[in-house]
Amino acid sequence: MKIGILSKRTGNFTGKIKLYLEKIGHSVNIYTASNLCINDALLVSDFYILKSKHLFYLYAGYFLEANNVPVIPSTDISYQHKNRIESYFSIKNTGLLLPNVFMGTIDTLKSQLKKTDLPLISKPIFGSGSKGVKVINSFQDFNSITEESFYLEKFIEGTHYLAYFIDEEICICEKKPLANEHDKVKIIVSDGEIEEYIIKWKDKYNLLFGHLDLVRDNNTDKLFVVDAGTFPEFSNWKHSSEPVSKVCNLILDRYQHIVNKTE
Amino acid sequence: MVKLLINIGLIIDRYHLEKKVSEFLRYIGTIAKVSIYLEEDYLLDYSNFDFKEDIFFVKAKGDLVLNLVKLIERETDIPVINSSKGIWLAYNRFLNSTLLRQSGILVPNFTLNAKGLLPPFNDYIIKNIIDQKNYAFSPKIQRINGYLNIADQRALDEVNGEKAKYTYLYYQEFIKSKWEYKVYCIGDNLFYYKQLPILVNPDKMKTRRKIDKIPELKEITLKALKTIRLKISSLDFLRSKEGEFFLTDINSSPNFNYIKNGPKVIGDYLIKQAKN
Repeated sequence: MKIGILSKRTGNFTGKIKLYLEKIGHSVNIYTASNLCINDALLVSDFYILKSKHLFYLYAGYFLEANNVPVIPSTDISYQHKNRIESYFSIKNTGLLLPNVFMGTIDTLKSQLKKTDLPLISKPIFGSGSKGVKVINSFQDFNSITEESFYLEKFIEGTHYLAYFIDEEICICEKKPLANEHDKVKIIVSDGEIEEYIIKWKDKYNLLFGHLDLVRDNNTDKLFVVDAGTFPEFSNWKHSSEPVSKVCNLILDRYQHIVNKTE
Repeated sequence: MVKLLINIGLIIDRYHLEKKVSEFLRYIGTIAKVSIYLEEDYLLDYSNFDFKEDIFFVKAKGDLVLNLVKLIERETDIPVINSSKGIWLAYNRFLNSTLLRQSGILVPNFTLNAKGLLPPFNDYIIKNIIDQKNYAFSPKIQRINGYLNIADQRALDEVNGEKAKYTYLYYQEFIKSKWEYKVYCIGDNLFYYKQLPILVNPDKMKTRRKIDKIPELKEITLKALKTIRLKISSLDFLRSKEGEFFLTDINSSPNFNYIKNGPKVIGDYLIKQAKN
């Protein structure tokens, strides 16, 4: 088959996917920010893998789906999990706990938030992971911010977890607060509540793989979802089975399922 | 029995409040109670969605406004005009072109290309990726090897400027047309105009004239509104030398002061759409 990968990088997990798919006989092209042109010329592959969720790749996903070329994971789900507000409603609709959210201009936030609303955490509205994330402990912390309007979440002090899932397998890691996916983690053998969260999340959106970032509140012991991702790098995946072949085979199965449904 | 006034929430930014809605507010104030949600001083708190309005009218398209509309749509049953999805699709040029074409509406050829890669057509116009801010079109016009290449300065700045946001450009094939056709829509009420294209005469109002209904434009317009999920809109069309209408732009926040009795038509429409 001819398979396209929409990705900001050609190496890392994307590179491994390409190598694996080529090894089993497929022809694979990676489309990055330097060679992607979204028009009818893109409609040459049998399907596309949406690895990166930057707007450019999402546009490509929407274009391909509008022209009946399958995209895996689906473009809409990838967008909903990348946009913080869409993600907020996705998590809420699954019945999982999540921190409250505020938005406003800097002046509005400074003048209308109450001291009891602090501490807060600022995040880019379109993003995932820890990039561009900052804790706001006092109103003075707003002075260093330059954006016009602003997305804030209630900051929950507690134990932070990264929980991956690939099909039925779940890998839970404890991580430092605000650390990124690639930082050192401590493996957690089992956590029933986190596993329950993952299964609900996966089933609700029919996901093949992905991750959730979670925090267990020090004061209440309640578990909050603070971030979601449709296509992690699986840097800290610690199961004996390696993730690349599992992810690729799930994608190939999903493609076959889509084809069978449309025939 | 005392008849209660309809309660309208106006979600707006300062620019539109100061420049565009004074007549609308004067009219609507006589038939409804109006609460103003101003983008520049509204604290959006996702735990608070106890809105008392019977309908919301959105006259802005910033991120904060869009996310307030999403909160209202997801947590209440209060109608919002226009919907967050409609506003989002209208300002995302590439997405609306994709969906309009998918639904069978003629749009000029388009492509979204990584910086440095040229489009597969010769005469083109480069437009900004996301048409969200209040801004006047500033075209740079060049003829290269006999082909017409036009670019909106704002689109170029967003890719090559000091604060570049994108690494790609949106190209739309240029359609030569004697007139630009404009259809304003307020629900099922359509208003038809034509004017010289802005590239011929930048003062669009100077040549604008009201025209009779064009059935073909009506059909395309109603289909486009359904596709993009807009109730109030304005659409721009160009007519090729073969006589085909191409939809080139769709706007979720039109200036209804250009329509005769526009503020009244809008106000009466909102009252009809209100809850209960």
